[in-house]
Amino acid sequence: MAPRSSVPPVLEAIGLRKTYGDVVALHGLDLSIAAGEIFCLLGANGAGKTTTIQLFLGFIPPTAGCVRILGQDVATHALQTKQHIAYIPENVMLYPNLTGLENLKFFTTLAGHGDLDRATLGTYLDRAGLAPEAAGRRVGTYSKGMRQKVGIAMAMAKGAQALLLDEPTSGLDPKGSNEFSRLLQTMSAAGVGILMATHDIFRSKEIGARVGIMKHGQLVACMGTEDLSHSDLERIYLEHMHD
Amino acid sequence: MIRVIARKELRELVRDGRFQLGGALMVLLQVAALLFGWRHTTAMQAERVAAQTVARSAWTTQGDKNPHLAAHYGMYVFKPAATLAFLDPGTDAFVGVTLKLQAHEQELPHDAAASDGTAVGRFGQLSAAAVLQLLVPLLIIALGFALWSGERERGTLRQLAASGVHPRQLLAGKALGLGVALLLLLLPAVLVAGLALAVGGDAGAWTRFAALVPAYGLYFGVIIAVTLWVSARAASSRTALVALLGLWCATSLVVPRLASDVAGRAVPLPTAEVLARRVHATLAQGLPQGLPREEHIDKISKALLAKQGFAGAESMMDDALLQGLELQAEAEYENAVFDYHVTALLAAMARQERVAQWAAALSPLLAIRSLSMALAGTDFDHHRAFAQQAEQFRRSLVLAMNDDFARNAGAAGWQYKANRQLWQQAAPFALQPPALGQVWADQQVAWTMLAAWMVAAGLGATLAARRMQVV
Repeated sequence: MAPRSSVPPVLEAIGLRKTYGDVVALHGLDLSIAAGEIFCLLGANGAGKTTTIQLFLGFIPPTAGCVRILGQDVATHALQTKQHIAYIPENVMLYPNLTGLENLKFFTTLAGHGDLDRATLGTYLDRAGLAPEAAGRRVGTYSKGMRQKVGIAMAMAKGAQALLLDEPTSGLDPKGSNEFSRLLQTMSAAGVGILMATHDIFRSKEIGARVGIMKHGQLVACMGTEDLSHSDLERIYLEHMHD
Repeated sequence: MIRVIARKELRELVRDGRFQLGGALMVLLQVAALLFGWRHTTAMQAERVAAQTVARSAWTTQGDKNPHLAAHYGMYVFKPAATLAFLDPGTDAFVGVTLKLQAHEQELPHDAAASDGTAVGRFGQLSAAAVLQLLVPLLIIALGFALWSGERERGTLRQLAASGVHPRQLLAGKALGLGVALLLLLLPAVLVAGLALAVGGDAGAWTRFAALVPAYGLYFGVIIAVTLWVSARAASSRTALVALLGLWCATSLVVPRLASDVAGRAVPLPTAEVLARRVHATLAQGLPQGLPREEHIDKISKALLAKQGFAGAESMMDDALLQGLELQAEAEYENAVFDYHVTALLAAMARQERVAQWAAALSPLLAIRSLSMALAGTDFDHHRAFAQQAEQFRRSLVLAMNDDFARNAGAAGWQYKANRQLWQQAAPFALQPPALGQVWADQQVAWTMLAAWMVAAGLGATLAARRMQVV
């Protein structure tokens, strides 16, 4: 757990529980992520990582407990809390008939930043690593990595204070993954709290301030990465997976 | 926000091949239908004007003859083509456009069923109305079936949901985007129609055209709302498309046919042959629960004599005057018989129409079809107005002829002959179509049904948008 302070955590789950009929997807999760912190959530498929992200996004209602973003309950402030978050799934899906710039303009306007002009939006795409010539091309021609970059640009342009990532580097080549990680670190340095669900132990250690391991809907381990080596993290992870 | 969403939808649609291909086809069809309709309507009108001129000339140049024989000779009247028939020819092709007016005969209303039938049956005419009523909904379905389901399938719905936009705004934006795309496709047709009206339309035609615009706007609004509703509810775009096409078939093909059949069964109408037999039987025997024919005519004769101040003085009257009054008494008896049967027939037709109008609760097409024909001046009500005014004209003509016979025959009796001067006194027949206010009142059920569809579809689409599952 991050240390308690008077500033509300960017992302907070309290006794969060989600069931589907008899199946328990999440067992009373408690989690708190501060501004500028990158928290990586590791776990096998079906461990509850994506469910956690979806609960933060308000896509599904919790069975018990609550989710807060900057101190506001997602259940009671569904639209307000979304003003502060950005979401990057495994595949950032955009409108294929619109250009990268048009997609960015559309989503940032929906998020209440319609005042950003094309030049400003272009700089966000540039900072996210998208080549200027690509910004004016239709997204239908983009690679997955290019779409992820538009997703990052959307988060930056929106001025999101929390970033929710669900397997964002899955399927990216090493170079793309590295670029993506650097972007996350840049955002973290700017004070954005980041929750990233991932299978990638190496990258979790590289960029995460803390790492949590989920199994069967429970957070079975939570540790800082500062004094942890890659091999330590891998060993701990595998130990939990083979329990 | 809604404008931003609408602009995005419009941009996506415009860049979509479906829009480009479907749109080009739609514009071509619309413009072709309008030009064809305009050419056909103007040609028909020219023919009718020419025929009416010939008929008038035949009446005024019939030569000297006894005025009652002239009433037998009679004349033809032609229904002028409604200016907006080029948009919606309605029942014109089915109910006939000419009536023979003569003594002792009234043409009876028939072919009310022309108002019914399947819309597809009338599509063979390639009218602009058929394109608007049948094909434009298909285009809306083609453009809009994936507006919600596609977002879910592509994964963009998650991005939208994460952006914090309210589902109601998304729905309104999507509806507006689709509506504007449709407007772009219909604009050329509206311009062509406007041009046609500028060339040959009067103020009345413009007013009716202006009333047609919101009627069709409401209809397309219903189709857009239903499309978005189904798209939001369907598990996949394919399911949405199949469901929408099924709905189109049901509301455009099945319900209109069923409505017509149900109306026909609920309120059966006599065939023209049966009706004619009944009329002739009544003419020969007298009205049911009334006096026998001769007594009835005698009663009317006495009333006419009393009115003229000759009560009880028949023996002192001029033979021709008496015969003239008797001819008029016979004509009035016949009118009473015609009125008896026509009133019953029109009442039955009105009941049939009511059944068909209420069936619009199951199909918005029935509502817009009724409204479109009525506003274009080509529905059965307009034809009925023509038939009724023509009948009034016939009665006035017969009265004028009999009156001239009674007043002027004198000792010549049946040998008396009137001339061109009398024939010219009969003013030409001039149709006064029902006022727009009357059309509005007659079409209240259709307006109400269309509005009810809009409210229900809008509500359904809103609820479906709010309840959409993001994951």
